[in-house]
Amino acid sequence: MLGQYLPIVFLIVLAFLFAALSFFASRLLAPRSPNDKKEAPYECGIIPGREAPERFPVRFFLVAMIFIVFDIEIIFFYPWAIAHGEMGLFGLIAVLVFSLAVFESFVYLIGNGALEWGPIRREAQTGDVVSATRTTSTTVSRAGIRQVGLEGRTGGDS
Amino acid sequence: MTAVLLASAGTSSFPVLPALVVTPVLGALLVMVLPRRRPELLKLVAVSTAVVTGAMSFWLLSAFKVGDPGFQFLSETPWMGDLGVSLLFGIDGISLFLVILTGLLFPVALLAIDPGHDARPYYAWMLLLEAGVMGVFGALDLIVFFLCFEVVLVPMYFLIGRWGHGNSARAATKFFLYTMAGSALMLVGILALAFLHADATGADISFDLVAIAEAQSLSTGAARWIFAAFALAFAVKVPIFPLHTWLPDAHTEAPTAGSVILAGVLLKLGTYGFLRFGLYLFPEASHYFAPVFLTLGVVGIVYGAIVATMQADLKRLVAYSSVAHLGFIILGTFALNTEGIEGGLLQMVNHGVSTGALFLLVGMIYERRGTRMIGDLGGLQKSAPVLAGVFMVVMLSSIGLPGLNGFVGEFLVLLGAFNAHRWWAVAAAGGVILAALYLLWAYQRVFHGPAEGDNADMPDLGLREALVLAPLLALIVFMGVYPKPVIERMEPAVDSLVRHVEFHVDGFSEPVSQMGSEIGPLDDSHGEHG
Amino acid sequence: MIAALTTPYVAWWALVPLITFAVAGFLLLTVASLVRRLPAVLAPAWTAVAGLGVLLYLVPMWSRVGRDGADSFLAGTVGVDRSSIFVTGILAVAVIAAALISRDYLPREDLPGVELYVLLLMSAAGGVVMASANDLIVLFLGLEILSIAVYVLAALHLRRIESQEAALKYFLLGAFSSAFLLYGIALVYGATGSTNMVRISAFLAQNVLVDDAMLLAGLGLLLVGLGFKVAVVPFHAWTPDVYQGAPTPVVAWMAAGVKAAGFAALMRVFVLTLGTYVSDWRPAFQVIAAATVLAGAVVAVVQTDVKRMLAYSSIVHAGFILVGLQAATDRGNSSVLAYLAVYAFLTVGSFAVVTVVSGTGDASHGLDAYRGMGRRHPALAGVFTVLLLGQAGIPFTGGFVVKLGVLAAAVDGGAYWLAGVAMLAAAVAAFVYLRLLVAMYLEEVPSGTETSGAVPLGALVVAVASAVIVLVVGLVPGPLLDLARDAVPVLVAG
Repeated sequence: MLGQYLPIVFLIVLAFLFAALSFFASRLLAPRSPNDKKEAPYECGIIPGREAPERFPVRFFLVAMIFIVFDIEIIFFYPWAIAHGEMGLFGLIAVLVFSLAVFESFVYLIGNGALEWGPIRREAQTGDVVSATRTTSTTVSRAGIRQVGLEGRTGGDS
Repeated sequence: MTAVLLASAGTSSFPVLPALVVTPVLGALLVMVLPRRRPELLKLVAVSTAVVTGAMSFWLLSAFKVGDPGFQFLSETPWMGDLGVSLLFGIDGISLFLVILTGLLFPVALLAIDPGHDARPYYAWMLLLEAGVMGVFGALDLIVFFLCFEVVLVPMYFLIGRWGHGNSARAATKFFLYTMAGSALMLVGILALAFLHADATGADISFDLVAIAEAQSLSTGAARWIFAAFALAFAVKVPIFPLHTWLPDAHTEAPTAGSVILAGVLLKLGTYGFLRFGLYLFPEASHYFAPVFLTLGVVGIVYGAIVATMQADLKRLVAYSSVAHLGFIILGTFALNTEGIEGGLLQMVNHGVSTGALFLLVGMIYERRGTRMIGDLGGLQKSAPVLAGVFMVVMLSSIGLPGLNGFVGEFLVLLGAFNAHRWWAVAAAGGVILAALYLLWAYQRVFHGPAEGDNADMPDLGLREALVLAPLLALIVFMGVYPKPVIERMEPAVDSLVRHVEFHVDGFSEPVSQMGSEIGPLDDSHGEHG
Repeated sequence: MIAALTTPYVAWWALVPLITFAVAGFLLLTVASLVRRLPAVLAPAWTAVAGLGVLLYLVPMWSRVGRDGADSFLAGTVGVDRSSIFVTGILAVAVIAAALISRDYLPREDLPGVELYVLLLMSAAGGVVMASANDLIVLFLGLEILSIAVYVLAALHLRRIESQEAALKYFLLGAFSSAFLLYGIALVYGATGSTNMVRISAFLAQNVLVDDAMLLAGLGLLLVGLGFKVAVVPFHAWTPDVYQGAPTPVVAWMAAGVKAAGFAALMRVFVLTLGTYVSDWRPAFQVIAAATVLAGAVVAVVQTDVKRMLAYSSIVHAGFILVGLQAATDRGNSSVLAYLAVYAFLTVGSFAVVTVVSGTGDASHGLDAYRGMGRRHPALAGVFTVLLLGQAGIPFTGGFVVKLGVLAAAVDGGAYWLAGVAMLAAAVAAFVYLRLLVAMYLEEVPSGTETSGAVPLGALVVAVASAVIVLVVGLVPGPLLDLARDAVPVLVAG
């Protein structure tokens, strides 16, 4: 009974062995002449002149999350596509309910502008959106005392 | 059993006991919808509600069948069907006078003292308090009894806290927590009692006091445990000696009306509980634990008297005198004979009247002089002779002077205690002497001597105040001179209670005769009406 | 080979409450995504109407189940009996209350959006699934639908760092507890060969396990997982922090709704499914119940933040409900259901008052905010007084009636010591409510406190209605007790 699982076990063991072997082989065989440039986290031959920029468009995360949602949808769609004949009307309804829920989240994301790229609502920015006093450091320090919000913005932001 | 009782209720179809509870509640609701800025109107409604309730309770006196030891004026309404709880009310000679005392003291307290501020909630709470107390004295269902027993805490808490003096919030909280913690286990006891009773008899679950008490279906061990749970609740409420510490605080900080009601009525909830729910439900356990309570009662008498002697605050002095008086009541109750219990019962009424009047008088002095410190007072007799005279009579009644009501009660208690437990009675008699000491000494310091400063021109009693005190004084004298009408109504019920106890206690010290008719009253009524 | 799938029997009439909650949330989210600038009143009104609709639908459903008996469908994974209808009713009431409280809360806190209402409805749908689960996996599904929505709800107040903290704590601990629950389900499956409650109980009734270590371990893990949701000691530590931090209307839902669903699940899993093992789990339940009432009451006494106080008092209530649950009798079950119903009203009403008092920013939860309330807001203070006295179990409030019920169940089962401990804890807990009463009535108004303005309508309606219901139940307990008695849960095979 458990014999069915033997190939999988073999595969896992092989994968581990291969990875370990490669790792140790490179340790043993490769020539080593360490210096600062080579020890840097991203070895490209140039020492970084400054810290990596901390600001990073959060949208990438959003896109990644949306991707996961649809990825999972595919996982459910695939078996249904294989067996939809046998599952009949009940299967169709079930998968419809499921995809409706997924699309619902999609509608919500679009409705909230999750997929809008580029400068947001250029037409709304008639004046200075950000006051002169507002910098990264003030925002961060204000966040510490929980005042992030409306201050620093001028006019009625939609 | 209940149906049998209902049949014996007989005479009146009007549910007078529920009406005693409902009328004050309706009055309270009416007060709450009246305009806030009309204190005189509020007072009129409150007082007349209390007077109507009082009148109904006095009507009970005339309609009460003398010589019937059973419960009268029964009424029953199903309430929590699943648990077998029903609103079962009825009174006998034991509760009759406590109901009347309640009906009397509330109008007096309401009429005598104005709250000063926030009149509307004050009157509403007073009336709700009256409803709760009436419920306690009338309830014959254990759960309903517990409900009323607990619910009186809420109005009293607010009365002490909002209209009291000094550190009243603390006193109110202390009062609430002491009594609530005390009665916490009683509820478990009630439930255990009912379920064990149902198991033993195979009947449906029921909290009918009479059914459970007459069946006596519990094992001795279980009954003793459950009695202990009940006794703790009552001992805190009375309060019995080591559990009494909430009482002086509550009395001192409470407004005058609160003190009157607290001393006059609320302290009786505990002693009444011992009679009705301790002795009646658990005769064997009461007998078993009697030495403990006799001892604590005597300790209370002596301790209360000694501490009272040393008080500088007149109100605190009266409060400690209550501890002593309640010791007498406990002593009489646990003498477990007719004289003792009857004396204890009389003493409950007497203490309600006398101490109620004393608190009223102290309140009147406080209103005039702004102080209750004995040291600040003196020579009041000259400026207020009537007040002094009334104070004198009430104080003598509290001491137990023959010819006044206090004597009858104390005498019967001592007689009963002497018959049952000689040495305890001797020790308690010492307390009577101490009572004379501290009260007379206080009277001398407050009313005699030279009057100085504000004491010299203190106004005497006004008409309203005299009117309020008159019924109390009349009762003090009447019950001292001619207690027969009271005693003849109490006696059958007390007798049957004592016989009930004797019947269920193996080897009771006194000879028991005519076993067959011991649980007679109910069976008799069964014979007549069933 | 895949065998042709036979369409399972579905009792659609029994799924109406679930579908109503889910579809209502669904539609609300869609409309709000597509239409800009919805009228502010639409979302709360929609949510409340959905709750009301469910509540009304439950009436014919109740009589139908009474007539035809309990039913089970979707291959025996979902069951409908009167206890699940009863709990659904509690959930609907909690949804309505939370929506009404939120109506004024969100604009005051300047939190636009309909997410709160959508998540509320979704989480209610999860609660309905929990209350009618006939299969441990479905139970887990319901629990997750309920919980994940509540994790987000807890974080909904964007500008309060406490709200974020509460959500994170709740989420992390909740994820752990879900894992425990799942592991427990796996072990029970391993021991009995099924996740279906009917089959598990039948299996345990017919077979005597030679080695029941795996089953007992699974049982323990189930208790951990569900115990976390209903916040009993020692799985209660998250409660005060989360109650304090989460937006107050959400707390009302958490306390009333989540707890009801959690206890319904506990009842189905332990009393119904694992009833044959009652002698094994009852001691654990008794110890937990005693520890819960005591720890909750004692720790509540030293709190200074009212929301934390109410959090600990909710722990005490959870302990009381366990006191009824451990009896594992019909009387115990019906007392638990009645307790859950009254408790729901007590909490939503209390938190409605707390929402009003907290003021803009949802920040003033100290006792100071309540000082002199009797003078400033006599009506609101009066209502709060009734609710607090109800929580303390003072006679003639619903709180007493249901406490009496669970104590009677415990005493009936012979657990005298537990009933005694619970009553003593109730006396200690009374001090907590007294502190609030003292602050409201017996302490002077701090100088400089202006007379506060009008009380928002939604919260006022919730508070007053709850107080009235609590009083009515206290005076006329018959109807509620009869409903709870008829709502005894049963398991039926599909």
